[in-house]
Amino acid sequence: MCQKVYDIVAGVVSILKGLGVTGKNMFRKAVTIEYPFEKPAMTARFRGLVDLHPEQCIACSQCVKICPTAALQLEATTNPETRKKFPGVFTYNEELCCFCGLCQEVCPTAAIYLNQCYEVAYYRHDDLVKIDLLKADKYVHLAPPKVKELRP
Amino acid sequence: MNIPWLALLSLLLKGVAILAFFAVNAMFLIWLERKISAKIQNRLGPMVVGPHGALQLIADTVKLLLKENIVPAEADRLIWWLAPFFVAVPTVAAFLCIPFSQEWIVADLNVGILFICSITSLCVLGVFMAGWGSNNKYSLLGGMRSAAQIVSYEVPLLLSVLVVIMEAGTLSMQGIVHAQELGWFCLKPNVLLAFLIYMISATAEVNRVPFDIPEAESELVSGYHTEYSGMKFSMFFLAEYANLFIISAVAATLFLGGWLGPLRPSVFWFLIKVYGIISFLMWIRWTLPRVRMDQMMSFAWKVLTPLALINVLVTGWLLAGKG
Repeated sequence: MCQKVYDIVAGVVSILKGLGVTGKNMFRKAVTIEYPFEKPAMTARFRGLVDLHPEQCIACSQCVKICPTAALQLEATTNPETRKKFPGVFTYNEELCCFCGLCQEVCPTAAIYLNQCYEVAYYRHDDLVKIDLLKADKYVHLAPPKVKELRP
Repeated sequence: MNIPWLALLSLLLKGVAILAFFAVNAMFLIWLERKISAKIQNRLGPMVVGPHGALQLIADTVKLLLKENIVPAEADRLIWWLAPFFVAVPTVAAFLCIPFSQEWIVADLNVGILFICSITSLCVLGVFMAGWGSNNKYSLLGGMRSAAQIVSYEVPLLLSVLVVIMEAGTLSMQGIVHAQELGWFCLKPNVLLAFLIYMISATAEVNRVPFDIPEAESELVSGYHTEYSGMKFSMFFLAEYANLFIISAVAATLFLGGWLGPLRPSVFWFLIKVYGIISFLMWIRWTLPRVRMDQMMSFAWKVLTPLALINVLVTGWLLAGKG
């Protein structure tokens, strides 16, 4: 009998404790990020898509050589007056890229780097395999959209 | 021939009003349930359709209306087709006797509470028909469990309602509310105990957590409505939430003074009490785990029923002592 009463009391106490825990959480702020409307910033060393500062590039081809998946293609051109090399064609194949960051590590002028973009989907395959790194607007479509416009 | 057109029209309007309330209330409750569960789990819940997801359920209803109605192979057709109506129609009928306010009641029967208790008992028939007709072992198990559960919890439920009837001396819902004008019934200790027993058994009656073993997602897929789709499924779903409203409305009327309240008694107080009870039940649902079948049955027969019987006895003594 005593055990029964004790069990009932312990049961009621545990129910109240449980209700206390859920009740406390009810008034906490939600941790949800409303993703398509709200885009979280990545950490500083996040390895996103390969990007280039074309004016810093000296077309030394080190990144092309170290790339384990041969995702980069570079054709160097020489300036006839200054005799300096610069990239004539520099394309990047996102499909092959494994985001290892070796190109960024090996670059002597810090021209090639991995940016913060994480929405790496394209509508057409051709766009994905041949990204022209010399074009300034190559990743414009990946820029975060204006939050207010997307919200219904 | 003299047909009372006006009376007919008013009856029709009342029926339409009840059906509209039935649907809108269920939709609101589903939204509330999703929001409360999200709050408890530190989520946001539906946010996209309408402000804070308020119109999500309209989108879901349209989707359900357009869905195909699949009949399982070798189902018992007639029983299978009738089951959702057996669940939904008594639920709508129970709204007849719910006193929303002094004026807002469709029919103040002199046996109102008896009518509600008896007509909602019919739901178990529909649930069992659904389980049997589906030709599916999960549905059958869910239906059997549901029948066992509802039939056994009806005993303490009615015994706790009996305490209120003894105190009020009437079976009419409005009469019970009027009997509480001097003080809500739940302020008396014996009725407070009855309130507790009522809430526990009512939670079991509407198959909610912690007594949701007839539906038990993790064991029985979805219990008796596993095989239903489209509009038939939504009838079960709407009836479930309408039943939740009914047990809360009965609890508010019997124990918390119904539409009585400070300032002016009105429908406002009634709805506050009802939705307060519903929110509490939802809070419980998202806190407690499910109990085992044998634990639940032994709790009904070995704890709740004797307790309710003793409570009736004590109330009888107290009332006899008063003269």
